[in-house]
Amino acid sequence: MRRDTQNVVLVLLGGALLKIAANDVYLRYVRPGHRWLLIAAGAVILTVAVVTIVRDLRATRTGRPVGGDEHDCDHGHREPRSTWLLVLPVLTIFLVAPPALGADSVRVAGNSVGARPTSLGFEPLPPGAAPEVALADFVARAVWDETGELTERDVTLTGFVVRRDGSVHLARMMIACCAADARPMLVRLGGLDSDAPADQWLRVRARLVAGTASTLDGYTPAVRVLEATPIAAPPDPYEF
Amino acid sequence: MTESGPRTADPGSRSGPARWRPTSLEVFCAILVGALLLQRPLTDALSAPVVRTAATVFVAVCVQALPFLVLGVLLSGLITAFVPPSALTRILPRRPALAVPVAGLGGALLPGCECASVPVARRLIGQGMPDAAALAFLLAAPAVNPVVLVSTAVAFPGDPEMVGARFLGSLATAVVMGWLWTSFGRAGWIADRVRRRVTPAAGTARWMVCVETARHDLVTAGGFLVLGGLTAAVLNVTVPTGWTESLAGNVALAVIVLALLAVVLALCSEADAFVAASLSALPLLPRLVFLVVGPAVDVKLIALQSGTFGRGFAARFAPATFVVAVGCGVLAGLLVLGGAR
Repeated sequence: MRRDTQNVVLVLLGGALLKIAANDVYLRYVRPGHRWLLIAAGAVILTVAVVTIVRDLRATRTGRPVGGDEHDCDHGHREPRSTWLLVLPVLTIFLVAPPALGADSVRVAGNSVGARPTSLGFEPLPPGAAPEVALADFVARAVWDETGELTERDVTLTGFVVRRDGSVHLARMMIACCAADARPMLVRLGGLDSDAPADQWLRVRARLVAGTASTLDGYTPAVRVLEATPIAAPPDPYEF
Repeated sequence: MTESGPRTADPGSRSGPARWRPTSLEVFCAILVGALLLQRPLTDALSAPVVRTAATVFVAVCVQALPFLVLGVLLSGLITAFVPPSALTRILPRRPALAVPVAGLGGALLPGCECASVPVARRLIGQGMPDAAALAFLLAAPAVNPVVLVSTAVAFPGDPEMVGARFLGSLATAVVMGWLWTSFGRAGWIADRVRRRVTPAAGTARWMVCVETARHDLVTAGGFLVLGGLTAAVLNVTVPTGWTESLAGNVALAVIVLALLAVVLALCSEADAFVAASLSALPLLPRLVFLVVGPAVDVKLIALQSGTFGRGFAARFAPATFVVAVGCGVLAGLLVLGGAR
């Protein structure tokens, strides 16, 4: 790839990083804390490209050899073709901007609950009629909390619908760094009188069914649904 | 290497053949226009269930890794422009046997994941650091830096000894590979371009050398990072991970399978501890091996290394690193964890 084309690709690449960091699109791919890294990286790539373009233009005008000769002579062979691959993420981000991971990516049958917590004491649930509880927190409590608080109180859960083996699950992906390391948190919904399609986001008022979330059901808690409201997908689709 | 005929439209081909050949800028514009015209069909094609997940993972890997690659190429630019070769030889012990562990420990100073260390190691070699020491740095940096160790501690709250075991296993991998290179490695396995020192034209400002080097390393390594991201995305949707729990009864098999999984999943070294922690049905030893192998050799790194140091290098270095990393991971586990656990 020619030097001036490389610079155009770099401008677009830096622009793509800045573009997804400018709104909530980046939250489909990475954690919120990654935003300033994207902005910094985008700015550096843009600066490097613009500095090179300006310098090359000046060099052409003054008739001196085009900048970068030190590298071209240095190598004595053509630039690697790998640079063409940089066009792929640029086009994917600008034209498609793939959505956040959804029901398709939930391919396991149960929850991986992680290590047994060192202390099994959970904070009491927040006060209120049906407090909002993160799905991962709900699953951890359902598996490890021995006080049985969840079987006595309603909670509000938010997630998207996953349909599998005739049953309906509410799911939320957890990521540690980016969407490549996502793993699902699943809760089986019972008593749901809704034909919500897969990937539909729901806010659900529900109560844990005692005796579920054990090794037998792959640590998947079952809940009795009292009320389910379809909602729009939230801007930050993952839990951390 | 010589030009193999005027196949590409380089500015150097001044002889002016009568036949018109598209320049890369024209090809690039054609791709852009084509993609814009085909945006609808492209979007539809990418919305098929498995493809959609793969596309998201692909963009996620690229977007996640690019800032670290940018950090790496900035450092490589600074090294090339401002660190004289004599400084490197002065810092490191003269004896290679000692220089290797010192360079490995020096990896703790680069707080990033594996994408940052490849361009830096390349320029360290270019500035005259002994190959073995630079390679030890390359392997150690992504695994022994404070950010990675802290995230490991956070992921394994009940097993703090995992942090020490990971540090030991990864450092041992780096040092053993460095020593192996000292004994058996051949300078010729590393592509010539790595060694050629940058000799700026007279009158070029140092900061311009820095920008120029960073730009060059970015367009070279960036493409290979994308290749690695593509591979990781395809493997991510095709290799199922749910069945790993059934390996719990067989530690030896679990070690091998998790080591291979670390290679194909190509997780960032700052995140892999959380994935390892979630595989809670397995004993700690195979999960430790997963953490030691991942930052040293994975599909993304193999792509980056073959692009930076040459295919011949990667074909020898990656398999050797895999074997050494598995061995060091198991040994560190037996020493620190006191068994399979």
